[in-house]
Amino acid sequence: MLLRLWLKEVFALSKKNASVLAKQHRAGWIYLAPASLLIVVMSFWPMIQAFLMSLKTGSSANMQWVEPIFYNYKRMFADKLFIRSVGNTFLYLIIQVPIMLVVAMLLAQMLNNKDLKFKGLFRTCVFLPCAMSLVSYSLIFKSMFATNGLINSVLLNLGLIEQNINFLGTTSTARAIIIVALVWRWTGYNMVFYLAGLQGIEYSVYEAAKIDGANAWQTFWRITVPLLKPTIVMTGIMSINGTLQLFDESVNLTSGGPANSTITMSHYIYQNSFGDFVANFGYASALSFVVFIMVAVLSAINLKVGDKRD
Amino acid sequence: MKKKLLSLVLVGAMSTAMLAGCGNSSAPAADTQTPAADTQAPAADTQTPADSSADNASAGGNTLSVYAWDPSFNIPALKAAEADYKANVDDTFSLNIIEQSQSSDVEQAITLAGSSGDYSQLPDIVLFQDHWIQKYVSDYPDAWMSVDDADVDWNDFGAEKLSYSTVNGVHYGFPVDNGTVVMAYRVDVLEECGYSIDAMKGISWDEFIKIGEEVYAKTGKYLLSMDGDGNDLIYMMLQAEGGSQFKDGKPYITENAPLVSVCEKIVEMSQKNVCYLANDWSDYTDQTIQGDMVAGVMNGNWIIPTIQNVPENSGKWEITSMPTLNGGEGYASNGGSSLYITSNCQNPDLAKKFLAYTFGGSTETYDAALRDGGVITCCISAGTSDVYNEGVEYFNNTPIYAQIVEMGSHVNVIEQNDAHYTARTHMAAAIMNAIQGADLMTELKTAEENINFAMGN
Repeated sequence: MLLRLWLKEVFALSKKNASVLAKQHRAGWIYLAPASLLIVVMSFWPMIQAFLMSLKTGSSANMQWVEPIFYNYKRMFADKLFIRSVGNTFLYLIIQVPIMLVVAMLLAQMLNNKDLKFKGLFRTCVFLPCAMSLVSYSLIFKSMFATNGLINSVLLNLGLIEQNINFLGTTSTARAIIIVALVWRWTGYNMVFYLAGLQGIEYSVYEAAKIDGANAWQTFWRITVPLLKPTIVMTGIMSINGTLQLFDESVNLTSGGPANSTITMSHYIYQNSFGDFVANFGYASALSFVVFIMVAVLSAINLKVGDKRD
Repeated sequence: MKKKLLSLVLVGAMSTAMLAGCGNSSAPAADTQTPAADTQAPAADTQTPADSSADNASAGGNTLSVYAWDPSFNIPALKAAEADYKANVDDTFSLNIIEQSQSSDVEQAITLAGSSGDYSQLPDIVLFQDHWIQKYVSDYPDAWMSVDDADVDWNDFGAEKLSYSTVNGVHYGFPVDNGTVVMAYRVDVLEECGYSIDAMKGISWDEFIKIGEEVYAKTGKYLLSMDGDGNDLIYMMLQAEGGSQFKDGKPYITENAPLVSVCEKIVEMSQKNVCYLANDWSDYTDQTIQGDMVAGVMNGNWIIPTIQNVPENSGKWEITSMPTLNGGEGYASNGGSSLYITSNCQNPDLAKKFLAYTFGGSTETYDAALRDGGVITCCISAGTSDVYNEGVEYFNNTPIYAQIVEMGSHVNVIEQNDAHYTARTHMAAAIMNAIQGADLMTELKTAEENINFAMGN
């Protein structure tokens, strides 16, 4: 059907009587068509399929429509483990994202200093963590915080603790370590955006502020932050999106434990498809759609809040 | 100039990476051509060249393909069977062992084939984990083939082991290894505290806790350890009592008195530093067992190679049966796998004949499997051979293999359920929370609700 439409367009283009504007218009559509088609086939079609699957249940060899049709969606509100995973994910979100963005901003400010020596080196150092594979950094954190790992032996030798702490085996510390790991991994990434944003601000604006007698604090809040707003909104959306889809840390660092107290939504979806709650694809798809809606809503709010144009 | 050079290097690196990527995928493609060349069955002929991956059944002839995952455990067993069949039945036979990186890869291959309805990518035979198979036979019935008509004396196998591979009275698999639980102790540590291995035989968990406390106070070693999130202790301890976490297909937790006592004991052991619950599986094997943190290990006997990875402890370990709630020797079984013929098998007669001859009870196969891979049979007659009765140096020259086969014959058959691992996850969570101070009964009630929820009850 689509192909026929496209061919019709091509033939129409070759007709002599079409106006130049219409021709250009058509040409534009024809150029766009292959790419759009690919997006529809590769991206939208699977999404529609996933939605249909989210209304089904049973083994993936023989899936049946559920009765009532939105049962999978209703089911998750009674699913304590899913609610726990939502809670965990939002806990990471609320604590980690602000810390990370503030630290990234401070680092960007410091590294944007004109008189700083070895700027390139420092910038590389801060950025380096996010060039690392998610799995390998999770494993490094895991071995560092192991019961007889580096952190424990350092603390023990300094006399700060008397007995090895099972960091990853205790709910509160395991959560804290995931947050620390996330901050370590992603701060540099966000800093790079801020640095780019800062470099786009004319130095003369700061000079003018200086002449008007503004101190560093005022300059930061009155000039840097407003001018960086688009960048801040973008990093905010990306961080929220990334945190809601958090997977690797939960799987590799704590494997969701202890007692599922650090499991994230994506990890739970994975568990439902391929993990211990094997091959429950219908329910897993329904969960994925709910996460999708959450990301969309949060990003929309973020955009609205960030977009305070006068 | 500098930029040009840099971009040249980049292009070079990228094309190398691409070549490497292509190289990987073309290598197995070349492999599949060999069996395709000597095909006889015309139906199979069309399938083999059609795909370029190695994931397909061998086409006719005298070749069978099989998925297995452990190069130091079950792959040597399969090689032993191949050599046996070749030497004694058919010297043109060959077995194409396709190594998978872990057992879940096999499970996912079945899931993938079942979801797409295209089973043509499966090998002739797969090695499959016992606790998963019931679920997979009910979810993907078209992926398997009944082996009821194979020439095997099923009564020669441990009944408990067969209860996994038999679905609705139909045999689907050939047992390979044996999951009989061993309770291994460090005899030198026990002696330091004034106990012998015989004193540990047939004790109750309360006595075990008392001894464990002494051992920890004197040596700083735990008497037991387990993976806290994949806690198999509950299953094993309950099986030793003859109980199951399921009754008539439903979770049976809070009203199951032995189960509640088992959970209480685990919490008590953990709080009294008798049992160390590791954060995950690798912590359990690497840190607690190989890191010399424990004086006792209790798990399926496939844990023995892990224990043996510490050469300096050779001669210091011995095994016995496990404790029970009221005293007396306990027997359980945990884990293990069996071989299943897939519906994609192009030569089911050969596959059945091969498996029945070798894993159906050939002493030659099982002796070599034990020698090369430490695979212990659950075939009762094969377990009486000379190789099984040899003393094992690492275990103070005691004949542990014969001991394990003997213990295996006492294991209680209990109700199994598709939701085995779901139950394990939720029960482990309940135990962890109780150790951190929550009320055990409340936690067990939550676990029961969660398992019911996950099972859709």
